[in-house]
Amino acid sequence: MNRTAREFQYGLFLIPAFLFYVLFCVYPFATMFYYSLTDYSIAKQTGLHFVGFRNFSEIAHYDLLLAGIKNSLIYAVLMTVFQTALGILLAVALDKKLKTRNVLRSVFFLPAVFSPLVIGFLWNYLLSTSDAGLINRALTSIGLDKVNFLGDSDLALYAVVFTQLWQWTGWAMVIFLANLQSISKDYYEAAAIDGATSSQQFWRITLPLLQPSVSVVSVTAMIGGLKVFDIVMSLTGGGPGNATQTIMTAYIKTSFDEGFYSFGAAYGVVFFGAVLVLTMLLMQLLKKWGGSNR
Amino acid sequence: MRQLKAIWLALPVLALAVTGCGSNGNNGNSNAAASPDTSASASPSAPSGEKVKIRMAYWNKETTVQSLLDLIKQKLPNIEIEYQFIENAQYDNIIGTQLAAGSGPDIISVGPPAATQYNKLGYLADLSSLADRFSDAGTSVYSVDGKLVALPGISWFEGIYYNKEIFAKYGLKPPKTFEEELQLHEDLKKNGVKPQAMGAKSFEPMMKSSMGLIMNEFLSQSANKDFDAKYGKGETTLEGNWNAGLEKWSELIKRGYLTNDMLGIDYDQALDEFATGKAAMWESGPWALEAIKQKNPNIQLDMFPFYGSAEGPGWLIGGPGVGFAANAHSKNADAVMQVLDLIATPEGQKAFWENNQGGSSYLKGVSFDMPAEFDGVKETFQAGNVYAPWNNWGGSASSIIEDYGKALQELLGGKSDVSSVLKTTDKTTARLLQLNK
Repeated sequence: MNRTAREFQYGLFLIPAFLFYVLFCVYPFATMFYYSLTDYSIAKQTGLHFVGFRNFSEIAHYDLLLAGIKNSLIYAVLMTVFQTALGILLAVALDKKLKTRNVLRSVFFLPAVFSPLVIGFLWNYLLSTSDAGLINRALTSIGLDKVNFLGDSDLALYAVVFTQLWQWTGWAMVIFLANLQSISKDYYEAAAIDGATSSQQFWRITLPLLQPSVSVVSVTAMIGGLKVFDIVMSLTGGGPGNATQTIMTAYIKTSFDEGFYSFGAAYGVVFFGAVLVLTMLLMQLLKKWGGSNR
Repeated sequence: MRQLKAIWLALPVLALAVTGCGSNGNNGNSNAAASPDTSASASPSAPSGEKVKIRMAYWNKETTVQSLLDLIKQKLPNIEIEYQFIENAQYDNIIGTQLAAGSGPDIISVGPPAATQYNKLGYLADLSSLADRFSDAGTSVYSVDGKLVALPGISWFEGIYYNKEIFAKYGLKPPKTFEEELQLHEDLKKNGVKPQAMGAKSFEPMMKSSMGLIMNEFLSQSANKDFDAKYGKGETTLEGNWNAGLEKWSELIKRGYLTNDMLGIDYDQALDEFATGKAAMWESGPWALEAIKQKNPNIQLDMFPFYGSAEGPGWLIGGPGVGFAANAHSKNADAVMQVLDLIATPEGQKAFWENNQGGSSYLKGVSFDMPAEFDGVKETFQAGNVYAPWNNWGGSASSIIEDYGKALQELLGGKSDVSSVLKTTDKTTARLLQLNK
């Protein structure tokens, strides 16, 4: 069998995956883009009209969607920065030869096993201002005032971020640990012989060589942050007011609660563009960092 | 080479399956749009003798229909009900998506706006054969173009529960005006009792509480009889009309009876506060009675309605209750009709009422005694003062009241004022009317 025939045969194996990709990714997205240019709604499902970019121009006048974009950006940036930073610190700490390191690794990873809805239910009680709220009970028992974590519009979004850092930092730690274990000990021995301190070893050896896993964790955190939905629904429902509305909660409300599918589709297209641009920027930044380390 | 042949053989099958999926989906949609009158009895059903499983979705927990489920189990042993509780805030979202995907529940609990919408999309079966059993007051709400699309359930209402023991301990009486209600809050607060529990994390309690006062102060006046219908059409605004009423209601916030920390409390936590005697009052309806008594079997409670400035019977927020609709595309339409037929009997209504005591049935010739826990609102019922303004605000009412409630959360959080709340709501209404054009 010549090379072309063999590659053709291999190519055929890709067809099922390609078909699924077209069916479940390309086709839905193309359909969404098509609907964003029409007047498709719950009340008008047949005989659709082409309305140009009218749905896109409406987005700028809809407070809920703008609040969703702002909150999602804050959420995604905070998650990306803190999940990466705390994940690295945890990984480095638990890479040391501690007797309890396996137990501690399991403990820190455990929250990632649960659904965000379970985590939402749990933290809803922990952070509540009612008597059921354990954290506020602890605060009042030591003479401090209650903190309205989920009901104060200036705090609620950060409380949601906190619960998600609690849940996902352990997952990031596992990725960094895998990367750490692939770094040769020779570098550290050579550095130690040259008199490098622990801090210098971290900044000059560990961190630069963690670049591949930092890329994975930060890009995943950024995209996941921009798409956040379930934890917000279970913890705050987007409130108080619109203080914790995100792109996805606003999208669901517009598309399904209100039934304006085409308007929701336009928002979805904008969201896709925003995620694409932000992810590309982040990857460029990480690539530059990786380049400067070589 | 054999593997290669297998792949070539598999490809057309896969392509056929993909095309088949696509065309089925399209047919499903076009059928739904083209033939909304699909009769429930036209669909296939399971062979006799075999146990049929049907799914029923509702926004209230299973305990609120437990007696009805028990009756179905007893009377229709060949049918097994899979009960799906979906929280109110997400209910329309989830059911709308399931129905659009062709995987909706067999029995769908609906409110009037959703029933109209789903019927338009061909999701609901025709239940007109059962219409004669119900009074016009019930069927009119769930009829579209002369076709009954859902069986009217027990009517619902919401007022303010109060703990009789706490009131007696401090020599307090239920109020007769809004000013007396404010004074009542003050007296309780002075005695170190939390006057009112509220799960303001949800947009609903403040939305209903404020409308309770506005119904007394504004909507009940003869000059404003058609205000809600006009508002639903965009012919008038809340701003300029509801300001005085909402300003008065906001005294509850200004005087510190409704507090910022309530924004961090949900329905279940507020219920718990009231049931365990940590708060003297709580705004809710008959569906909560069972849960309160489960938490505290010895609690002594009664209810009073929402009051205005002038003495009178007051008003309760309420109206036609849940409607039970049948999915037009259910695979077990016969079983669904058997269940609905059972609900549409005095026995079925009594079973449903068992866990929803306080409401009334729309089934002809069926009436129930009001439980003692609602003695305080008997006069309000006799005056016929049970009303929910948004029932006349059109198909987008759910979104409007949600935005109104969320704007009130901002008011409670000190981030807004009365005028902004009303303007925000008007803006939502105008936007939805514009998009619906």
